[in-house]
Amino acid sequence: MEEKKLPDVLKKETTRRDFLRGTATAAGSALAITAIGGIAPKKAEAQYSVQTAPGTKPYAQKYRFAERQNCTGCRSCEFACSLFHTGTARPALSRIYIAKYKDIVDVPVMCWHCDDAPCIAACPTTPKAIQKDPKTNGIVLNEKICLGAKCMKCQEACPAKYIRGNPDTGQPLICDLCGGDPQCVKACQEQAGNPQGPCLMGRPIGLGVNMAYRSVTPEQAGKDLANLLFYPNVEGKRVVPAKTRKGR
Amino acid sequence: MATPKGGNFGKVLEIDLSKLTYKTRPVSDEILQQYIGGRGLGAYYALTEYKAGKNAFDENAFVFVGPGPLSGTMAVSHRTCFVNISPLTGRLNHSECGAHIASEIKFAGWDGIYIKGKAKKPTWFTVVNDKVEFKDASRMWGKTTDEAHEMMIKEMKDPEIRTAVIGPAGENGALQANVIVERFRAASRSNTGPVFGDKKLKGFAVRGTKYAVPVADNAKFLAAARTGKEINIAGEAWEGLKRWGTGGLMELKHFLHGSLITKNFQTTWYPDVVKIGGEEAARTFWKRHSSCTNCPAHCLKLGVIRDGKYKGLVAESPEYESGGLLGSNLGMTKFDEMTALIEACDAYGLDNISTGGTLGFLTEAMEKGAIKPADLDGLKPKWGDCDTYMAMIRKIALREGKAGKFMAQGVARMSKQIGKGSDAYANVVKGRELAAHDPRGDKIRAYSYTMGTNGGDHHEGQGSKALAMTAMADSLCSCSFTSMLIWGANTDKIVTDMLNGLCGWNMKPEDYWTTAKRIMTAERLLNVREGISSKDDRLPKRFFTEKLPAGPKKDAIFTAEDQKKMEADTYGFFGWDAKGIPTEATLKAYGMDAFIGELNAAKKKYNL
Repeated sequence: MEEKKLPDVLKKETTRRDFLRGTATAAGSALAITAIGGIAPKKAEAQYSVQTAPGTKPYAQKYRFAERQNCTGCRSCEFACSLFHTGTARPALSRIYIAKYKDIVDVPVMCWHCDDAPCIAACPTTPKAIQKDPKTNGIVLNEKICLGAKCMKCQEACPAKYIRGNPDTGQPLICDLCGGDPQCVKACQEQAGNPQGPCLMGRPIGLGVNMAYRSVTPEQAGKDLANLLFYPNVEGKRVVPAKTRKGR
Repeated sequence: MATPKGGNFGKVLEIDLSKLTYKTRPVSDEILQQYIGGRGLGAYYALTEYKAGKNAFDENAFVFVGPGPLSGTMAVSHRTCFVNISPLTGRLNHSECGAHIASEIKFAGWDGIYIKGKAKKPTWFTVVNDKVEFKDASRMWGKTTDEAHEMMIKEMKDPEIRTAVIGPAGENGALQANVIVERFRAASRSNTGPVFGDKKLKGFAVRGTKYAVPVADNAKFLAAARTGKEINIAGEAWEGLKRWGTGGLMELKHFLHGSLITKNFQTTWYPDVVKIGGEEAARTFWKRHSSCTNCPAHCLKLGVIRDGKYKGLVAESPEYESGGLLGSNLGMTKFDEMTALIEACDAYGLDNISTGGTLGFLTEAMEKGAIKPADLDGLKPKWGDCDTYMAMIRKIALREGKAGKFMAQGVARMSKQIGKGSDAYANVVKGRELAAHDPRGDKIRAYSYTMGTNGGDHHEGQGSKALAMTAMADSLCSCSFTSMLIWGANTDKIVTDMLNGLCGWNMKPEDYWTTAKRIMTAERLLNVREGISSKDDRLPKRFFTEKLPAGPKKDAIFTAEDQKKMEADTYGFFGWDAKGIPTEATLKAYGMDAFIGELNAAKKKYNL
């Protein structure tokens, strides 16, 4: 397994203990830190890493899968996506986004890269403004041809209600899988692991599940999650206090 | 006046509620470099605009809502800072909270929101990119924080808007009231609730899609931000935080540190903690984890109560402070009841810490016979009695009856009114109720309680250096967990690397410390103007006179030597004199020459 690259400041082989010691002198709260570290189980090293074992071929990330109940709503996928595509962090331009449902669950909304691609079928231009890259399976937008906000037939056709408009140009924001190395998956996987695994995975999880998942709208997914996690209060309503004062 | 090259837009949104207008308030790169943002910028505004003795309820008293330069960037974890004169303490205080509102303010193109004036009728406002709209809040007035939050989302037809609202407690002017951000996060320790209430401001909602935070040198900044985040990911330190949130600290502080607040600081030994702590929550309550923006630590835990009187209660519980103050502090032994108290406070918009402190103090006062049930409208609080506590919380929030008005002023004022030696167990520093760490078991926490600007605040830094680092973290608006506490001795380098890349500045690691000390000294100067000196930087009586009766730190006590050592350490580090007053030379060294006159006036006035 490839060892995790250490950040520059740590090149002098700072061990975790050194770190704690540094914090102890600096922040004086080593107690809290050691103790938290103490309770914690040791991290399952790169158990979920995109990197595969040496000698095997890396997974061709032609599809993604989202284990929705693992999403913590940190939006690092949005940040990673917009950084890759625009050079700066701007989640409004991200090709994946986190929808909130009733404040209690977060739903990652993303492209499932359907094999039959209803969005491309619906695209009215000739040639098509959105097309699948046969190599990566990502959907690539031709900004010169796309009709933008006045069309959005792709948005209507998407069974997952995934496609958003670009707030600047009005054209659809659609997932090109970052040329075969989806940044959202990387961002999600690297920081997940305890106590649950990552939400995003760069693989289809087989058995046609992607095809079934794709027809679930963000709202329906939110409902499902709330039902799964917060039964009997699936609306997430506040129970206490029952009585509140009416307006003055 | 230079415009910022990156990190900031150089414009703060100024809201005038009296006229229901808004305008851009330019802020120069020089000021931002000196005071960074968030907490520091708020202190700068107070220092330049306020005279001593400023009343929290003045018409032009401001509430500054500040993200920092790092908010909305690739840096790890973004928080928001609220700065205002606290009506509880009468001094400039600050509070921080998580969630996504900080980055949203940046994406809307602002470096902060400066709210002043008083509306004539209940109002809320929305900030969508460059556009501000004032809206009528009379339908929301009186609603709990979650209802108001939901109504805002409904009216905006956008579930992604980020809100900050007050509850009935803030509207009615309970001094413990706070601002609840995005339903589950609270900015509490600046008592912004009654200030909003006085301004007739129910809250505001922000949505930003138009801007990205400008970056001066992308490659340099991204490398530094990456380093900061990677340490969080690769390091093991926060694995526990991920798993248990801060709720897991309850067991830790009880079994190992001997600093879990118990029954108004009577002891730190509370074996029933296993029924209300993080482990119980993990086994029976928590359902999912929730993060602030771009944070790998997801320390907020949501769960649902499945059975009993509070069946169906969805709550964020417990955090260490909320579980300590409204759990072990009140002798609670049932998880669902403690959670219900926490939720009630959040719903009404009450600071869990100050409210828990108030309830704990009154329970002990009742136990000791200093007050009678007649003083509390017939209520007789006793340890673990959820229903009575619930009724008291309601009374505080609505300032209902004689008892409600009495309790809604906080411990310091109540103790003064009660007299009868109640100051022996009124646990306040500089007018603010203490958080859930007993400084006899966790001595280093005394720095945070006594030397910090707010007073009584657990989140001001443990140790003289940490005080400076926390001031910096709150000004950058990064979470102290994911920044200074895990970066440790490398913090100055990582932060200056990030800022140099982001803002195009040329800061050296030493400048990190100068800036941090400048912000602390600015706040200290504001405190000195209100007559604060070393005599106020003291823990309450109890910690000097009563030994811990049980637990891992049995017989521990806070001594006069501890106090003396702490004072010398802190004052020396920041360049303040033996009375805790910044010296002229210090002000000059931090480039604060302009405020020397104020300093001398305050020294003369209070004979310091």
